[in-house]
Amino acid sequence: MASLGSYLLLTAFVLCAYAAAVSIAGARRRSRRMVESGVGAFYLVAAVMTVASAVIMYSFVTGDYSIKYVQHYSDSVQPIFYKITSYWGGLDGSIMFWVFMLSLFGSAAVYVNRERHRELIPYVVAIISMVEMFFLFLMIIHNNPFDTFITSTPADGRGLNPLLQNFYMAIHPPTMYLGFVGLTIPYAFGMAALITGYLDDSWLRAVRRWTMMAWFCLSFGLMLGMIWAYEELGWGGYWAWDPVENAGLLPWFTATAFLHSVMVQERRGMLRVWNVSLVIITFFLTIFGTFMTRSGVVQSVHAFGEDIALARLFTGFMCTIVIVSFSFVIYRLPLLRSRNELDSWISREAAFLVNNWILLFAAVFVLFATMFPTLSEAVTGQRLTVGPPFFNKWMLPIGLILLFLTGYGPLLAWRKSTLTNLRDQFLIPTACAIVVGTAVVALGVRIWSSGLCFAISAFVAGTISQEVWRGARVRQGATGTDVLTALIGLVGRNKRRYGGYIVHIGIVLIFLGFAGNGFKREEQVLLKPGQQAQVGAFTIRLDAVKRTDDGAKEMITAETTVFRDGKELTRMYPAKWYFRKHEQEPTTEVAIRRGFAEDLYLVMPAFELGDQSASMGIIVNPLVNWIWAGFGLLAVGTFLALLPETVISFALASVPSSAVTTSLLLLSLVLWPAGARAQTGMDVPVAQRSPLERQLQSEIMCMCGCRSPLGSCPMAPNCSHWKPEREKLAALLADGNDHDAVVAAFVKDFGGQDILAAPIDKGFNRLAWIVPYVAAFAGLIAIVVTTRRWQRPAALAGAESSIDPTLSARLDDELRNLD
Amino acid sequence: MSKKTAKIGLTCVVLVLAFGGLLYSTLSEGTEYYKHVDEVMANPDTWYGKALQLHGFVNGEPGRKRDSLDYEFYVQNKGKVVRAYYTGIVPDTFKDQSEVVLKGRLTSQGFMVEKDGVMAKCPSKYDPAKLPVKTAAPPGTAGTN
Repeated sequence: MASLGSYLLLTAFVLCAYAAAVSIAGARRRSRRMVESGVGAFYLVAAVMTVASAVIMYSFVTGDYSIKYVQHYSDSVQPIFYKITSYWGGLDGSIMFWVFMLSLFGSAAVYVNRERHRELIPYVVAIISMVEMFFLFLMIIHNNPFDTFITSTPADGRGLNPLLQNFYMAIHPPTMYLGFVGLTIPYAFGMAALITGYLDDSWLRAVRRWTMMAWFCLSFGLMLGMIWAYEELGWGGYWAWDPVENAGLLPWFTATAFLHSVMVQERRGMLRVWNVSLVIITFFLTIFGTFMTRSGVVQSVHAFGEDIALARLFTGFMCTIVIVSFSFVIYRLPLLRSRNELDSWISREAAFLVNNWILLFAAVFVLFATMFPTLSEAVTGQRLTVGPPFFNKWMLPIGLILLFLTGYGPLLAWRKSTLTNLRDQFLIPTACAIVVGTAVVALGVRIWSSGLCFAISAFVAGTISQEVWRGARVRQGATGTDVLTALIGLVGRNKRRYGGYIVHIGIVLIFLGFAGNGFKREEQVLLKPGQQAQVGAFTIRLDAVKRTDDGAKEMITAETTVFRDGKELTRMYPAKWYFRKHEQEPTTEVAIRRGFAEDLYLVMPAFELGDQSASMGIIVNPLVNWIWAGFGLLAVGTFLALLPETVISFALASVPSSAVTTSLLLLSLVLWPAGARAQTGMDVPVAQRSPLERQLQSEIMCMCGCRSPLGSCPMAPNCSHWKPEREKLAALLADGNDHDAVVAAFVKDFGGQDILAAPIDKGFNRLAWIVPYVAAFAGLIAIVVTTRRWQRPAALAGAESSIDPTLSARLDDELRNLD
Repeated sequence: MSKKTAKIGLTCVVLVLAFGGLLYSTLSEGTEYYKHVDEVMANPDTWYGKALQLHGFVNGEPGRKRDSLDYEFYVQNKGKVVRAYYTGIVPDTFKDQSEVVLKGRLTSQGFMVEKDGVMAKCPSKYDPAKLPVKTAAPPGTAGTN
C-alpha cells in the first residue's frame, strides 16, 4: 500500500508539471487542444489525489503500522472516526490533505468557469498546478506520509494525543485548510488576469463567490479552534495570540479587506491595483502562516520542531510568489489604471478604503508582533517576546474602529455625501449609540473599552435596522404589499447586500462577546470538602473528590454544588481523565454552566485523593455565548449571499422566517455535543465489572445518539438508554450467556447491528471495510474516463519543441526540483 | 512632483511616523526577554528585575506547601539550575522533567513566577519525533490547530 501511495504522489507531480506546461504552451500557441489536454491532466490530478487519500485512509482504518505516519498518529483502539481524521493529524498528512483539497477545489473552479472565462483558464490551471507541485515536491522529498519503517514494524500505533480526540479538533483542521485552499483560487484567477492582460472586472466576478466561501471556511475554522481551546484546554479563554492562531487570522484580515474593496472596483472602477495586490497578499499569507508555524522560525509554546530544510523550501517558494506576482503587477500597471478618482472623503468608497487600510494594518501588526521574537533575535541577538497584553493594547482600538466603520460605511452615499443626507442618515444610529452609551455609564460600567464597544454596537445595530427599514418601506411603496413581504423581496433582490448586513450583526454580537471579556472574574482556590469559594454572584462548594473508572480511562471528578445569592443553582463536575496508554497526559475536563449572560467555568487542575482536596479554577465569563451565536449569524448571512439567484427568490418567497430558524437550529445541533460532554463522569457507580462485561460495554453502543460505546456515553448517567442497556447487559451475563450470545441478543432486540461499535466482520458488513476500496475504485474510474475524454496527449511532443525561451527557462526551473 | 503625490506622500510619512512612535513606546513596556536558564544563570546579577520568559526543564518533583497553591521547584537547563516560586494553578504536565516556559522576574531569592506564568509545552499534532517524547503533550496555554 505504501509504495502505491508514493507512486500516486509521483504521478500527481508529473501530471501537474504536464498540466502547467501544456496549458501555458496551448495558451500561447492558441491551440485549443493543448489547453484542453492541460485541463484534462488537471482534473486527473484530482482523481489521483482522491485515490491516494483513499489509500492512506485505508491504511489508517486497517492499521497498517508499517507506515510511519500511520503508526505515529493512530492506534488500534481508536474509534474509526478518529482513525480517519488522523489523516490530517500530522504535518505530512496535512500537506497531502492540502493538495487533495486544492486539486478538488481547483478542478471545481476550472469546471465552473471553463466557458465563461476561456482566456483565463489555461493560466489558472498552470498556477494551481504549480502550487500543487510545490506541496507534492515537499511530500516526495521531505515529508512523505507513505514512508515506511525500514527494519521492524511496530505491533501497534502510538495513538493520537487524547486532547486532540475531540469533535472540534477533528473538524477544525479541514475547515481551516478549506479556507486556505479556497484562497488559492482567487490568486490563480488574479494572476491569470495579470498574465493575459484581461484586466476588466470579469476575473473578479469569477472569484467573488470562491473568496466568500473560503472566507467563511476560514471564519468557521477559527471559531472551531476557539471553541476547542475554550472547552478542552481549561484556561477559561478562547484566544491567546499564539503564533498558530495568528497564522489563521492573517489571511482572514486580508480576505475580509478584499471582500469589501471588490465592491469599490465593481461600482466605481477604482482600487484595481489594490485588489490584485490584496489577492496576492492573501495567498502569500496562507503560505506564510504555514511556514511560520511549521518550520520552527517562530518559537511557540506549541511543540513544533525546528526544520531547517522545510524552512528553506518554504522561503524559496514564498520569494518566488512575491517576486513573480508583483513583477506582473508592475508590468501591468498601465492596464490597472483607475477609471475614477476619489470625489470626496465623505463617501462610501472612502469608508471602504479606510476599512481596507485598517484591516491591512491589523494584518501587518499581527505579523510583526508574531515575528517580533525572531526579528529581535536576528537584529539584536536577544530574543524578546511580546505577549497577549501587547496584542490586546493594539488590537482593541483597531477592532473598535473597524466596528465603527461597519456602521459608518452603509450610511454614506457613493461618490459624495451631502450635509443634509448625512444629518438624515446619522440621526437615528447616533441617537442609539448615545442612549446605550449613557445607559452603560449609568449602570456603572467603568471599563472604557467595553463601554465604548457597547455604544458602537448600538450604533451599528441602529444603522442596519434603519437601512433595512427604509429599504422595506421604499419597496412597500413601489410594490404595494405589506412590510414583511416587501422586506423579503428586498433581501431576495439584493442578497449580497442584506447577507452582508446579517454578517455585520453577527460581527456585532461577536464584539459584544469580546467586550464581555472585560468583566471576567477569576479565582484560583484550594478547597476541601465542605469549603466554599465565592466568585461574583456564585458560591461554589466542594462536596467530594471521587475516583471512577470506565475501562478506557480513569476519572477523578470533583463534585461541587453551585449557589447563587444563597440559593442552590446546580451541581457541577469538573474532572481529570487519565486515558489508558496516555496516563502521562491527563486531560482536564472542564465543567461549564452556560448562560445567556455569563458562563460559569470550573476546572480542577490538581487534586489530592488522600485528604480529598482539590485546587479549583473558577471563572465567570460574561457574554461568551454571544460570540458563538454571532458566528451562527455570520454563517446565515454568508449563505444568504452565496445562494444562487433562483434558489433565493423561490425559497424566500415561500418560507422566509423558518429558513433562518432552521439554520440556527442546525448550527446549535452541530455545537451541541459541547454542552453535553462537559458535564460528565458524575455519580458513575464504581460497580465491580468482569473483564467480559467491560469488553462488551466497549463493543456495544449506547443508543441515545451519542455515538459512543456504553462504557463511555458522554451523557451518562442521565442518559435515557445508558442505564437500561447496561442493566440488560449485566442481566444477560448473569444468566450465563457468552460473548457471542450477548451480542446476538442485542442485535436481535435492537433490530440491527447499529448497536455494535464495529460491525461484525462478516457478510454484508464487509461493506464498511470496503468503503475505502470503493473510493479508490471510483477514483480509478475517474482516471479512465478523463483519459478517454482527453484529447491526444501527443500534442505535448509538438508543444515542447516550439515553446518560447522564457517558458522553457521556467520549465527548467521546475524540472530542477525533480533532482 | 504633482500636488497629489506630495499629499499622499506626506500622509504616508505622518502615518508611518505616528504608528512607528506608538509601536516603539508600547513595545518598550510590552516586551519580555526570552532566555534559557543557563543563559540567565551564567550572569544572574544583570537580569535582576527584568521581565523574563525563562525556558528550561523542571528538576525534581515540584514541591507544594500543604493546603495551599504555593509551589517551590527547580528549573534547569544545561547544568544550570534556578529555584522558582509560584502561586496558583499549574498545567497538567507540570512535573519532574517537563519542559516549561516561566514568565516572571529574577530576584536574589530565586525566580518569581507571575500569575498564570507557567506554560508547559502545548499539545500539537505536529510534534516531530525529534522532540523528546516526554515534552510532547500537555496543555497550558491556548492553541488551535
